[in-house]
Amino acid sequence: MKLSSMFDVGAIFNSMAGRIFLLLSIGMLTAASAALILAEQARRDDFQRLRLERVVSLVSGVGRQINDSPADTMQLLADDKIIWARPAADDVAISNTDPILVRRITQSLGVASAPDAGEVPSSLCFPRRTEPLPVAAGISKDGQEITGVLPDCWIVRFTDATNVRRSLAIYLPPLILSSALNPIYLLALLVASAVLAVLIARIASNPLARLMRAAKAFSVSQDQADIEEKGPREVRAALATFNVMQNRVRSGFKDRTQLLSSISHDLQTPLTRLRLRLEQVSDETLRQKLIADLGATQELVREGLDLARSTESGEEWSVVDLDSLVASIAEDAAEFGAPVQFIDGCGKNVRVKPNALGRCINNLIDNAVRYGGDADVSCRADADRVIISVRDHGPGVSPESIERMFEPFVRGASDKTRGTGIGLTIARAQARTSGADVRLRNHAEGGLVAEIEMAI
Amino acid sequence: MPIMSAAPDHPHRILVVDDDDDIRDLVVEQLQREKYEVASASTLGDVRARLAEQPTDLIVLDLNLPDGDGLALCRELRAEGRAVQIIMVTARDSPIDRVLGLELGADDYLTKPYEPRELLARIRNLLRRRPEEASESRNKRYARLGAWRLDLLQRRLVAPDEKLVMLSSAEFRLLQRFIASPNVVLSREKLSPERKATVATDRSIDLQISRLRQKLAEGGEELILTVRNEGYVLASPVTYE
Repeated sequence: MKLSSMFDVGAIFNSMAGRIFLLLSIGMLTAASAALILAEQARRDDFQRLRLERVVSLVSGVGRQINDSPADTMQLLADDKIIWARPAADDVAISNTDPILVRRITQSLGVASAPDAGEVPSSLCFPRRTEPLPVAAGISKDGQEITGVLPDCWIVRFTDATNVRRSLAIYLPPLILSSALNPIYLLALLVASAVLAVLIARIASNPLARLMRAAKAFSVSQDQADIEEKGPREVRAALATFNVMQNRVRSGFKDRTQLLSSISHDLQTPLTRLRLRLEQVSDETLRQKLIADLGATQELVREGLDLARSTESGEEWSVVDLDSLVASIAEDAAEFGAPVQFIDGCGKNVRVKPNALGRCINNLIDNAVRYGGDADVSCRADADRVIISVRDHGPGVSPESIERMFEPFVRGASDKTRGTGIGLTIARAQARTSGADVRLRNHAEGGLVAEIEMAI
Repeated sequence: MPIMSAAPDHPHRILVVDDDDDIRDLVVEQLQREKYEVASASTLGDVRARLAEQPTDLIVLDLNLPDGDGLALCRELRAEGRAVQIIMVTARDSPIDRVLGLELGADDYLTKPYEPRELLARIRNLLRRRPEEASESRNKRYARLGAWRLDLLQRRLVAPDEKLVMLSSAEFRLLQRFIASPNVVLSREKLSPERKATVATDRSIDLQISRLRQKLAEGGEELILTVRNEGYVLASPVTYE
């Protein structure tokens, strides 16, 4: 398989398995990602609330201490002896006041404190980078200290008991991006959903593929075994319905064949009588004319029998040297004076029903000679099939009527010659008993080409 | 075209078996015009009765009879070792019947409706055949030559690996002549008696021989040898199986 075709999205989207696969893997990935993002958001909200509580409790602790002994506490803060809090510069503006924080601090320190609080960029809390970063800025999930990342920072201003306006910086470990959206997790999720999607696509499309194969085989030859009815209930029902249809078609076909066969068969006795009686006609001209008419009737009967028999052949399958088959038929035709030539062989051995295939080739040659004047017979092969072609140099057939030529009793428009018009119908049926098919096309350089194609 | 008279020293006796009265009578009349001694029968029982009455050279046997199958009769007659020649005539025009008929011991096979001249030609052909020639290969499906087998009924070759190699009618006739006289040098005229010996015929025989050699390529290179200025020889014994 070519790489380009493997990744051809159009082709994938065209197959049912591909659609199920794409739909499932994209859908599952989206749903799982959305769930993860929602959970992440909830976690973030919880964490944010906890941190606010923490800020509030820190502020109230430090605030009360300041109210009790302002000078000592301020000294401790300045010396960085109180963890998570330090004095803040008075000129740092609080651009986005956090109303919840303000309300909670007010509850804790009293209305008189008139607090103002909000989160500010970390650099405002630690203006000078020469300063050593505060210890325990944060601990990552594997227990290692996080270094090089500034803690998140809140500035809180309030009026203490001595009516002095105090400015505190509260810092807490930063909020780290959650590990739930880690690309490795996402990749694992993608792989898992893809595997599941492939499995489901297989399970869903497998019965369809079996049905398709069975229908295809049935279209080629009516002699097919029923398909095995297995799988879930709906699938079993579909397969059973297909089998019923197959049997009905087959029995209808058999009835038709039987009818044709018995009519043709029963005609043979009176025709034989007629032929023998003709020997007693003394008028030679009349006798010859009657014999010619009888000959035409006999041909109809013979072809009727051929058609009836062509669809089911009890003949055994054999491996045949294809060139010898094609060449000997062409040679036999040429021996009776028909302009038939064997042009080229393909050197292949094929498994066929040799007599049915031989009659098919014979019919095509007869047809070519009758309507096209001559027949060039050849065989060619490519990687997985062989094609036997019979070409004439006659007028060809108009493109729109090519497929109609296979219907019984349809003849070319220019046809003035005698013939039953079922030669091609028979040829196609005969080819199909060997698992081959017959096609017609006009040759680029004039004339009609009949081709028998079969897989090898 | 005038039909040549059979004109034998003592007339051959032929039994015509058909359940259709008209056909039977018409065939009988036709054969009588050819100076054959003709009897007729319409059932298997009749056949037995006629055979018991007088020795018969040839039976024209229709397969569908009211009291049984012609195929069964054919097999019985062969099992009894009767030397009578049998031409089967049937409306069942299928190659399977043909093979079955010939395997069960018929000497020839004709499908209805047939040309009266065709029936005469076949009768004459069979009556002319030497009995020993007929008996050697009778009831045999295959002639073995080297690693190859010739299917005498289906008229095709079976390769050592069971692959089928098809023959044209001319090639089959040629092989039949070789098989009839193995290890004997055959001239080009003997190989193709149906044509007058001309330079053109010689060349077409050479062509057919070379095609036949190509078909017998696998393990059969040495089967047909050229004898300079004389003809060709099949360099292998022939057995029937």
